[in-house]
Amino acid sequence: MSTVSATPFDMEDIFNSLNLGVCVVDADSKVLLWNNWIAKHSDIKKTDALNRQFETVFSEPVSPAFLTALKSTLTHRLPVVLSTALHRTPLPLYNASEANQQPTRMYQSITITPIQSQLNESCCLIQVTDSSTSIKREKILRSHSEILKKEATTDSLTNICNRRFFDAHYEIAIADAKRQKHSLSIFMVDIDFFKSYNDYYGHIAGDNAIKQVASALKSQLSRATDIVARYGGEEFVLVMPHLPQKVAEQFAEKLRSAVFNMAMPHINSSPFHRITISVGLCTGIPENDDNLLNKADAALYQAKQKGRNRYICLPLCETGEYLEQ
Amino acid sequence: MSNPSELHLDALAEIFSIGAGRAALSLSEIVGDEVHISVPSVQVINSEDINATTLSLNSGRFGAVSQYFSGPFNAEAVLLFTEEQALKIVSDMMGSQMSIEELAEFEHEAMCELGNIILNACLSAMADILHFTLESSLPDYRVASADEILHRLKENSNQPYIMVLHIDLAIEKRHTTGNLVFLLSSTSLTNLVIHIDQFLGSIS
Repeated sequence: MSTVSATPFDMEDIFNSLNLGVCVVDADSKVLLWNNWIAKHSDIKKTDALNRQFETVFSEPVSPAFLTALKSTLTHRLPVVLSTALHRTPLPLYNASEANQQPTRMYQSITITPIQSQLNESCCLIQVTDSSTSIKREKILRSHSEILKKEATTDSLTNICNRRFFDAHYEIAIADAKRQKHSLSIFMVDIDFFKSYNDYYGHIAGDNAIKQVASALKSQLSRATDIVARYGGEEFVLVMPHLPQKVAEQFAEKLRSAVFNMAMPHINSSPFHRITISVGLCTGIPENDDNLLNKADAALYQAKQKGRNRYICLPLCETGEYLEQ
Repeated sequence: MSNPSELHLDALAEIFSIGAGRAALSLSEIVGDEVHISVPSVQVINSEDINATTLSLNSGRFGAVSQYFSGPFNAEAVLLFTEEQALKIVSDMMGSQMSIEELAEFEHEAMCELGNIILNACLSAMADILHFTLESSLPDYRVASADEILHRLKENSNQPYIMVLHIDLAIEKRHTTGNLVFLLSSTSLTNLVIHIDQFLGSIS
């Protein structure tokens, strides 16, 4: 292939077809080139812009930072960038909008580069790109990623936090409590006789019962620091910092009674024949290898042994003893 | 190659302090608050001798804004800040009037501009005082680890000299330090020294 010695196009056509603003000014900042894009977005015709001082072409002021940058490029012959983040809209350029609405001022990224004219004069090339679309695109990506992040940490059946979220949260909550030496309360909750509920009422009703219990537990929480998560099948776990033991116990009782008062029939659950929960609670200031979760689980086991529909609180430091409702 | 003497380095420190003053002025126009930039020291090091300590490159990731420039001498100028500091500076500069400050693309662009302002100010001060003209490419922003940066500085055998400027930057009560690194060939370093000698000769 032979090399092309001259471009077979009119450069003017190319400038006018570009999807970015192109403008050239001379050493006195007089406009020498004004492409269609910039004419369209400024609503100033090329004929009205050529040979006029750049800053007087517009009916609105040009930002001082832009003028400083232009002057600096003309003086020092070094290229300058003006970012959207720091300048937003340096030039009065607009994007057409819906009918009957004011056009919106365009977010811009600007590059000013020194160039030499064929007559060896110092000039500046100003390139303007529209950042509005990138801002929009990034915002969309960000909101998608937030939705995905939320989905990744939410239990799809109950809409409360899932096990993955709990595992991460528990680790952080324990570390915080150890560092700041404050108390942390873990509540393990299990629906009583759930297997026989499922057997008798069917899996759809079982799922519904899990949803109802989850929502009853969640409605008891009012602080931003507290979470309830689905731990597994019909098991839930709550993490609450800064509760004195007495308050934690009152809260465990509140959880139990909230579910009890829903009065959801469960024919195979004696003696109340309704859905009830057992709660294992462990509360204290964790140190070293203390395992609140294991203790809360052991407390839950005891609550089951003692006849269900109750809470058992195991203090973190003592072993063997338990406090019963 | 004549290595720069203490006198040369003092002259360079003086020149870059003027550049830093210009950069501070431009930045304070943008942030609408006081900005202080100083260049406490200038060093010229053989790139083989460069290590993490000379550039205070501890662990973590760094934001690097680079521009290639040419004139009586050619060099690549790279401004280095730890990524965390860079992002803090930029978010301070952006203020909080709009939600786009959270968007990564715009942080990078803003970082490019911050680097461009500091680099241009230093280059133009040098060009003005030493009476020459420099041309420069547009700035480029990259995030890299300390190892990657050192590797790049060392592998460049055409530019065996490295001029390091330690930079102190204070914007709106946030104080941070960075480094401005010039990668120079031996011819370029010689030419720079010649220009400084001419300048020193003209004032003595």
